[in-house]
Amino acid sequence: MVLGEDNYFLGVDVGSVSTNIVLLRSDNTVAETLYLRTQGRPMQTIQEGIKLLRTKMKTSAEIIGVGTTGSARQLAATLLGADVVKNEITAHAVAASRVDPRVQTILEIGGQDSKIIILRDGVVADFAMNTVCAAGTGSFLDQQAARLSIPIEEFGSLALQAKHPVQIAGRCSVFAESDMIHKQQLGHSLPDIIAGLCQAMVRNYLNNVGKNKDIRSPIFFQGGVAANPGIRKAFEDELGQPMIVPEHYGVMGALGAAYLAQEKAGMRAETRTKFRGLQLGETQFQAKSFECSGCANRCEIVEIMQEGISLAKWGDRCGKWSTAVESGVGLNITKGASEKRRA
Amino acid sequence: MKIGFPRALFFFDYFPFWAGFFHCLGIEVVTSPATQRQIMEQGLKKVSDETCLPLKLLAGHIQALKDVDAIFLPRMVSVELDTYNCPKFLGIPESIVSAVPAGIPILTVVLNWRKGQRQVLKDLQIFGIQLEKSKLEIRKAFSEGQAWQKQYQDSMGAGWDFEESMRKIEDASKGLQHAPSVVESTPSIPVTVQTRERLRIALVGHSYLTQESYANRNLLGRLREKTEVELVQHVSQEDVDTNLLGLRKKLFWNHAKQIFGAGNKFVRDREIDGIIYLSCFGCGTDSLVQDMLARKAREQHKPYMVITLDEHSGEAGLVTRLEAFLDMLERRRTHESYVSTYGECLDRDSNTL
Repeated sequence: MVLGEDNYFLGVDVGSVSTNIVLLRSDNTVAETLYLRTQGRPMQTIQEGIKLLRTKMKTSAEIIGVGTTGSARQLAATLLGADVVKNEITAHAVAASRVDPRVQTILEIGGQDSKIIILRDGVVADFAMNTVCAAGTGSFLDQQAARLSIPIEEFGSLALQAKHPVQIAGRCSVFAESDMIHKQQLGHSLPDIIAGLCQAMVRNYLNNVGKNKDIRSPIFFQGGVAANPGIRKAFEDELGQPMIVPEHYGVMGALGAAYLAQEKAGMRAETRTKFRGLQLGETQFQAKSFECSGCANRCEIVEIMQEGISLAKWGDRCGKWSTAVESGVGLNITKGASEKRRA
Repeated sequence: MKIGFPRALFFFDYFPFWAGFFHCLGIEVVTSPATQRQIMEQGLKKVSDETCLPLKLLAGHIQALKDVDAIFLPRMVSVELDTYNCPKFLGIPESIVSAVPAGIPILTVVLNWRKGQRQVLKDLQIFGIQLEKSKLEIRKAFSEGQAWQKQYQDSMGAGWDFEESMRKIEDASKGLQHAPSVVESTPSIPVTVQTRERLRIALVGHSYLTQESYANRNLLGRLREKTEVELVQHVSQEDVDTNLLGLRKKLFWNHAKQIFGAGNKFVRDREIDGIIYLSCFGCGTDSLVQDMLARKAREQHKPYMVITLDEHSGEAGLVTRLEAFLDMLERRRTHESYVSTYGECLDRDSNTL
């Protein structure tokens, strides 16, 4: 494939809190990163992102590969026409090892989830994600910052001013909150309390997510929370090793998806991307859901439509709906894409 | 007389014994249907939220038993020497009473093999008075139950399939078939051909979780679509026993013993690419065993993942973990055999999950 200067790979990471978009040049440099709040409306957010991207790109620019990741990766893949759909673990690992192939540990803390990925020789050797509890994630910090009415951006730098961080129970955000109130009432300074909170969160993360993991340097710290210097320092104190925060720490998932799209394009030079074009931002997408009455399971089926044409359906346990679309329009990414690849 | 038998918890391992027992006594046994949404929802409403998912499912299944004269809830204290069942098995039926619809009597009996066969038989004969059966009839039924259970257990081994094995027992208990002929079916399932192309995954955990396809979001089916799956029941008892030898102390719980013994065998088996431990939130015995097994896995550098089930209906969390785990194994293998990581199998199939 001849790569022109105007050719780009698109990586999209649609998470619960944010939707990140990365535009990768063919020479592996990042041309554009977008960070949008998902706010519970992933379809609109993706469209907004594409609209925004269109204004920033030259008209001659062309997207030659698309990768999606994040919890709404399937939805994003349907809307955009993705070439690669990957889970977040793989995407994060790919991005980090492209930035530095020697990386052995990735600590990733996002809004609603946190994970640890152990790499050896550039390959994922082990990983873990947080369980149902969100205590070791960004939303915990968000909540506490809001309670103290400190903007989350200043939170970390305040923590760095601490002289004697206080001990705070970090197992659960409810316990942490009552503990913090007690410490405040006793007259501890705000920076000490915040630093204590950062330490509690790091302890919580290492005990839950990082349990039994062999954490070796170089360690990458990525995800939205990596912006917080207080947490960074708490990690360094706890692990006794430096944290490396990569340049694009907030959009590593999307970056990984873009790299994966690039790998894919490299593998099959003759085929074109499935990308459905930048004018996507202007069309109308609808999602509707209904309860299937076929059996006692009563699955909740979601149908994605573009201007009245059904693009995909999912949510069924038996495959009755998800395979029905496949034979028709052929845009179903769940089964259709992988089968084509196998062929 | 028609007895309702909930398809939950003790059903998964011990139904054959009870099916044979009641069959011999000429008592009809009705099982509840496989778990579906309504059963789960009914169950969640009826029990304390402190308890575990399998017990909640039991509550749902009890309510799904319609048109029965009584509901059978045995207190299965122990099924073999020197071990106990999970404490929650011991608390039945009291802990689940609130789920039993008003007006339907509960039939219960203590089954405690720790005290030996004589005591078991004695307890069953006392139970027999309620059923208006003589001591002799109970003795005969007991042997019949033992025989059914043995046949079921003997059918386990390589290639064993729960659904098929259990269907035979159920057919037999409904009188559709004279006696369960589980043993003869085993050879008909070919021992899986060793295709090195597919990953081999060991799925370990309580059978009432691994075989509960509604609650585990069809985990077994999803795995089987992509990989060759090995289960605890595929491991022979001798193998389980030898793999328990290294322990400093015997395990008290018989389920835990089986899971750990089989899991430890998988850890050492070079043919197994990775182990998935399926547990549920709040399981006491798993809290120990999953960590003991994790340590063994770490020693041998065997990829190991714990999946904790609860009452979620969303599949995203499970799918992401499963996908990432299989991806990791696939990439590892490609890496180990020095094939370019840019090869075709890189992300083969990974979207379908």
